[in-house]
Amino acid sequence: MGQTNPPFMSGVPELLLLRLLAQREMYGYELVKSIKLVTSEAISLGEGVIYPVLHGLERSGALKAKRKTVDGRTRVYYSLTAKGKKRLDKLQGEWHRIQSGITAALGVPGNA
Amino acid sequence: MRDQTFRDLRRSMQQSGVAPRHIRRMVLELHDHLDDLKQEAVANGCDPFQAHARAVREIGDQKLLARKFLEHSELRTWVYRYPRVARFYYPVAYVLLLPAAPVFAGVARASMIARWGAALMLSATVTAAMFLAMQLSIALG
Repeated sequence: MGQTNPPFMSGVPELLLLRLLAQREMYGYELVKSIKLVTSEAISLGEGVIYPVLHGLERSGALKAKRKTVDGRTRVYYSLTAKGKKRLDKLQGEWHRIQSGITAALGVPGNA
Repeated sequence: MRDQTFRDLRRSMQQSGVAPRHIRRMVLELHDHLDDLKQEAVANGCDPFQAHARAVREIGDQKLLARKFLEHSELRTWVYRYPRVARFYYPVAYVLLLPAAPVFAGVARASMIARWGAALMLSATVTAAMFLAMQLSIALG
Protein backbone atom coordinates (compact mmCIF):
# COMPACT_ATOMS: atom_id res chain seq x y z
CA MET A 1 0.00 0.00 0.00
CA GLY A 2 1.33 3.45 -0.93
CA GLN A 3 1.55 6.60 1.16
CA THR A 4 -1.72 8.07 2.31
CA ASN A 5 -2.60 11.54 1.05
CA PRO A 6 -2.41 14.43 3.56
CA PRO A 7 -5.60 16.10 4.91
CA PHE A 8 -5.20 19.23 2.73
CA MET A 9 -5.89 17.01 -0.27
CA SER A 10 -9.62 17.49 0.16
CA GLY A 11 -11.05 18.75 -3.13
CA VAL A 12 -8.06 17.53 -5.16
CA PRO A 13 -9.75 14.29 -6.33
CA GLU A 14 -12.61 16.37 -7.73
CA LEU A 15 -10.24 18.69 -9.56
CA LEU A 16 -8.24 15.81 -11.03
CA LEU A 17 -11.32 13.89 -12.12
CA LEU A 18 -12.82 16.94 -13.83
CA ARG A 19 -9.49 17.74 -15.52
CA LEU A 20 -9.08 14.21 -16.88
CA LEU A 21 -12.68 13.98 -18.02
CA ALA A 22 -12.31 17.29 -19.85
CA GLN A 23 -10.00 15.44 -22.25
CA ARG A 24 -12.23 12.42 -22.94
CA GLU A 25 -14.85 10.20 -21.35
CA MET A 26 -13.51 7.47 -19.06
CA TYR A 27 -14.65 4.77 -16.62
CA GLY A 28 -13.58 4.34 -12.99
CA TYR A 29 -10.61 2.00 -13.38
CA GLU A 30 -9.28 4.06 -16.29
CA LEU A 31 -9.55 7.24 -14.20
CA VAL A 32 -7.60 5.79 -11.26
CA LYS A 33 -4.83 4.63 -13.60
CA SER A 34 -4.78 8.01 -15.36
CA ILE A 35 -4.49 9.89 -12.05
CA LYS A 36 -1.49 7.74 -11.08
CA LEU A 37 0.03 8.32 -14.50
CA VAL A 38 -0.44 12.09 -14.79
CA THR A 39 0.68 12.75 -11.22
CA SER A 40 3.62 10.32 -11.53
CA GLU A 41 2.03 8.39 -8.64
CA ALA A 42 2.46 11.40 -6.32
CA ILE A 43 -1.29 11.27 -5.76
CA SER A 44 -2.78 7.88 -5.16
CA LEU A 45 -6.50 7.65 -4.59
CA GLY A 46 -7.96 4.50 -3.08
CA GLU A 47 -9.30 2.48 -6.01
CA GLY A 48 -12.88 2.57 -4.72
CA VAL A 49 -12.83 6.07 -3.27
CA ILE A 50 -13.33 7.81 -6.60
CA TYR A 51 -16.85 6.41 -7.03
CA PRO A 52 -18.52 8.49 -4.29
CA VAL A 53 -16.83 11.56 -5.82
CA LEU A 54 -17.98 10.62 -9.33
CA HIS A 55 -21.54 9.99 -8.16
CA GLY A 56 -21.54 13.29 -6.27
CA LEU A 57 -20.32 15.18 -9.33
CA GLU A 58 -22.93 13.47 -11.49
CA ARG A 59 -25.66 14.32 -9.00
CA SER A 60 -24.62 17.99 -9.07
CA GLY A 61 -24.77 17.96 -12.88
CA ALA A 62 -21.02 18.36 -13.48
CA LEU A 63 -20.74 14.90 -15.04
CA LYS A 64 -22.91 12.69 -17.18
CA ALA A 65 -22.81 8.91 -16.74
CA LYS A 66 -23.82 6.39 -19.36
CA ARG A 67 -23.43 2.63 -19.77
CA LYS A 68 -21.46 1.68 -22.83
CA THR A 69 -20.25 -1.64 -24.20
CA VAL A 70 -16.68 -1.56 -25.48
CA ASP A 71 -14.81 -4.74 -26.50
CA GLY A 72 -17.60 -6.89 -25.09
CA ARG A 73 -17.55 -5.26 -21.64
CA THR A 74 -20.27 -2.97 -20.38
CA ARG A 75 -18.98 -0.14 -18.24
CA VAL A 76 -20.19 3.16 -16.86
CA TYR A 77 -18.45 5.98 -18.70
CA TYR A 78 -18.32 9.51 -17.32
CA SER A 79 -18.10 12.68 -19.38
CA LEU A 80 -17.93 16.37 -18.52
CA THR A 81 -20.99 18.59 -18.95
CA ALA A 82 -21.04 22.35 -19.56
CA LYS A 83 -21.67 22.81 -15.83
CA GLY A 84 -18.69 20.56 -15.10
CA LYS A 85 -16.50 22.67 -17.40
CA LYS A 86 -17.43 25.80 -15.44
CA ARG A 87 -16.74 23.98 -12.17
CA LEU A 88 -13.34 22.88 -13.49
CA ASP A 89 -12.42 26.45 -14.50
CA LYS A 90 -13.41 27.69 -11.04
CA LEU A 91 -11.47 24.95 -9.22
CA GLN A 92 -8.40 25.48 -11.42
CA GLY A 93 -8.49 29.20 -10.66
CA GLU A 94 -8.78 28.53 -6.93
CA TRP A 95 -5.99 25.97 -7.08
CA HIS A 96 -3.59 28.36 -8.85
CA ARG A 97 -4.41 31.09 -6.34
CA ILE A 98 -3.71 28.79 -3.37
CA GLN A 99 -0.61 27.36 -5.04
CA SER A 100 0.81 30.87 -5.57
CA GLY A 101 0.06 31.77 -1.96
CA ILE A 102 1.69 28.62 -0.56
CA THR A 103 4.71 29.00 -2.85
CA ALA A 104 5.12 32.61 -1.75
CA ALA A 105 4.81 31.61 1.90
CA LEU A 106 7.31 28.78 1.62
CA GLY A 107 9.74 30.87 -0.39
CA VAL A 108 11.66 29.89 -3.50
CA PRO A 109 12.47 26.15 -3.45
CA GLY A 110 15.98 25.62 -2.11
CA ASN A 111 15.91 28.69 0.18
CA ALA A 112 13.89 27.03 2.93
CA MET B 1 -18.43 -14.97 -5.02
CA ARG B 2 -19.12 -11.93 -7.24
CA ASP B 3 -22.41 -11.09 -5.52
CA GLN B 4 -20.99 -11.54 -2.01
CA THR B 5 -17.89 -9.33 -2.29
CA PHE B 6 -19.65 -6.03 -1.65
CA ARG B 7 -22.56 -7.37 0.40
CA ASP B 8 -21.51 -5.51 3.57
CA LEU B 9 -20.97 -2.28 1.68
CA ARG B 10 -24.38 -2.58 0.03
CA ARG B 11 -26.07 -3.25 3.37
CA SER B 12 -24.26 -0.39 5.09
CA MET B 13 -25.28 2.05 2.34
CA GLN B 14 -28.88 0.83 2.39
CA GLN B 15 -29.06 1.33 6.16
CA SER B 16 -27.67 4.86 5.80
CA GLY B 17 -30.30 5.87 3.28
CA VAL B 18 -28.16 6.10 0.12
CA ALA B 19 -30.50 6.18 -2.88
CA PRO B 20 -30.98 2.66 -4.34
CA ARG B 21 -29.91 3.72 -7.87
CA HIS B 22 -26.55 4.93 -6.53
CA ILE B 23 -26.06 1.71 -4.56
CA ARG B 24 -26.85 -0.45 -7.59
CA ARG B 25 -24.50 1.48 -9.86
CA MET B 26 -21.75 1.76 -7.28
CA VAL B 27 -21.72 -2.02 -6.67
CA LEU B 28 -21.78 -2.67 -10.42
CA GLU B 29 -18.86 -0.29 -10.98
CA LEU B 30 -16.89 -1.83 -8.10
CA HIS B 31 -17.38 -5.30 -9.56
CA ASP B 32 -16.12 -4.08 -12.93
CA HIS B 33 -13.18 -2.37 -11.23
CA LEU B 34 -12.42 -5.54 -9.30
CA ASP B 35 -12.44 -7.57 -12.52
CA ASP B 36 -9.98 -5.11 -14.10
CA LEU B 37 -7.68 -5.29 -11.07
CA LYS B 38 -7.83 -9.10 -11.12
CA GLN B 39 -6.94 -9.18 -14.81
CA GLU B 40 -4.03 -6.85 -14.11
CA ALA B 41 -2.83 -9.05 -11.24
CA VAL B 42 -3.11 -12.23 -13.32
CA ALA B 43 -1.18 -10.53 -16.13
CA ASN B 44 1.52 -9.75 -13.54
CA GLY B 45 1.83 -13.42 -12.63
CA CYS B 46 -0.63 -13.91 -9.74
CA ASP B 47 -2.82 -17.00 -9.60
CA PRO B 48 -6.60 -16.34 -9.65
CA PHE B 49 -7.00 -16.60 -5.85
CA GLN B 50 -4.07 -14.28 -5.14
CA ALA B 51 -5.38 -11.94 -7.84
CA HIS B 52 -8.80 -11.77 -6.19
CA ALA B 53 -7.35 -11.12 -2.72
CA ARG B 54 -5.05 -8.43 -4.09
CA ALA B 55 -7.84 -6.78 -6.04
CA VAL B 56 -10.13 -6.67 -2.99
CA ARG B 57 -7.29 -5.13 -0.96
CA GLU B 58 -6.65 -2.49 -3.62
CA ILE B 59 -10.32 -1.54 -3.86
CA GLY B 60 -10.01 -0.49 -0.22
CA ASP B 61 -11.77 -0.88 3.09
CA GLN B 62 -15.53 -1.16 2.55
CA LYS B 63 -16.33 0.74 5.76
CA LEU B 64 -14.21 3.64 4.52
CA LEU B 65 -15.96 3.48 1.15
CA ALA B 66 -19.38 3.62 2.81
CA ARG B 67 -18.20 6.56 4.94
CA LYS B 68 -16.97 8.40 1.84
CA PHE B 69 -20.34 7.87 0.23
CA LEU B 70 -22.12 9.30 3.26
CA GLU B 71 -20.00 12.47 3.06
CA HIS B 72 -22.05 13.21 -0.07
CA SER B 73 -25.42 13.86 1.52
CA GLU B 74 -26.91 14.61 -1.90
CA LEU B 75 -26.63 10.89 -2.71
CA ARG B 76 -29.06 9.96 0.06
CA THR B 77 -32.80 9.70 -0.45
CA TRP B 78 -34.71 12.86 0.41
CA VAL B 79 -36.30 11.18 3.44
CA TYR B 80 -32.83 10.98 5.02
CA ARG B 81 -31.77 14.43 3.82
CA TYR B 82 -34.87 16.19 5.12
CA PRO B 83 -36.21 14.01 7.96
CA ARG B 84 -38.38 16.81 9.39
CA VAL B 85 -40.10 17.38 6.04
CA ALA B 86 -40.62 13.63 5.69
CA ARG B 87 -42.16 13.42 9.17
CA PHE B 88 -44.63 16.16 8.20
CA TYR B 89 -45.20 15.07 4.61
CA TYR B 90 -46.12 11.42 5.14
CA PRO B 91 -49.05 11.93 7.57
CA VAL B 92 -50.42 14.77 5.37
CA ALA B 93 -50.03 12.67 2.23
CA TYR B 94 -51.85 9.75 3.84
CA VAL B 95 -54.70 11.97 5.03
CA LEU B 96 -55.09 13.39 1.51
CA LEU B 97 -54.70 10.09 -0.31
CA LEU B 98 -56.98 7.98 1.85
CA PRO B 99 -60.30 9.43 0.56
CA ALA B 100 -58.94 9.40 -2.98
CA ALA B 101 -57.98 5.73 -2.83
CA PRO B 102 -61.37 4.39 -4.08
CA VAL B 103 -61.23 6.89 -7.00
CA PHE B 104 -57.70 5.76 -7.92
CA ALA B 105 -58.82 2.13 -7.65
CA GLY B 106 -61.78 2.87 -9.93
CA VAL B 107 -59.57 4.63 -12.50
CA ALA B 108 -57.09 1.78 -12.41
CA ARG B 109 -59.85 -0.75 -13.11
CA ALA B 110 -61.87 1.50 -15.44
CA SER B 111 -62.07 -1.02 -18.31
CA MET B 112 -63.30 -3.79 -16.00
CA ILE B 113 -65.90 -1.49 -14.46
CA ALA B 114 -67.03 -0.40 -17.98
CA ARG B 115 -67.42 -4.03 -19.09
CA TRP B 116 -69.34 -4.85 -15.92
CA GLY B 117 -71.58 -1.80 -16.44
CA ALA B 118 -72.23 -2.70 -20.10
CA ALA B 119 -73.12 -6.28 -19.17
CA LEU B 120 -75.48 -5.02 -16.44
CA MET B 121 -77.15 -2.60 -18.88
CA LEU B 122 -77.55 -5.32 -21.48
CA SER B 123 -79.11 -7.77 -19.03
CA ALA B 124 -81.44 -5.02 -17.69
CA THR B 125 -82.49 -4.17 -21.27
CA VAL B 126 -83.21 -7.84 -22.08
CA THR B 127 -85.20 -8.26 -18.82
CA ALA B 128 -87.18 -5.05 -19.52
CA ALA B 129 -87.89 -6.18 -23.09
CA MET B 130 -89.15 -9.54 -21.78
CA PHE B 131 -91.42 -7.80 -19.24
CA LEU B 132 -92.68 -5.48 -21.98
CA ALA B 133 -93.43 -8.42 -24.27
CA MET B 134 -95.28 -10.19 -21.44
CA GLN B 135 -97.30 -7.04 -20.63
CA LEU B 136 -98.15 -6.56 -24.32
CA SER B 137 -99.20 -10.19 -24.71
CA ILE B 138 -101.47 -9.89 -21.65
CA ALA B 139 -102.91 -6.55 -22.81
CA LEU B 140 -103.51 -7.68 -26.40
CA GLY B 141 -104.41 -11.27 -25.61
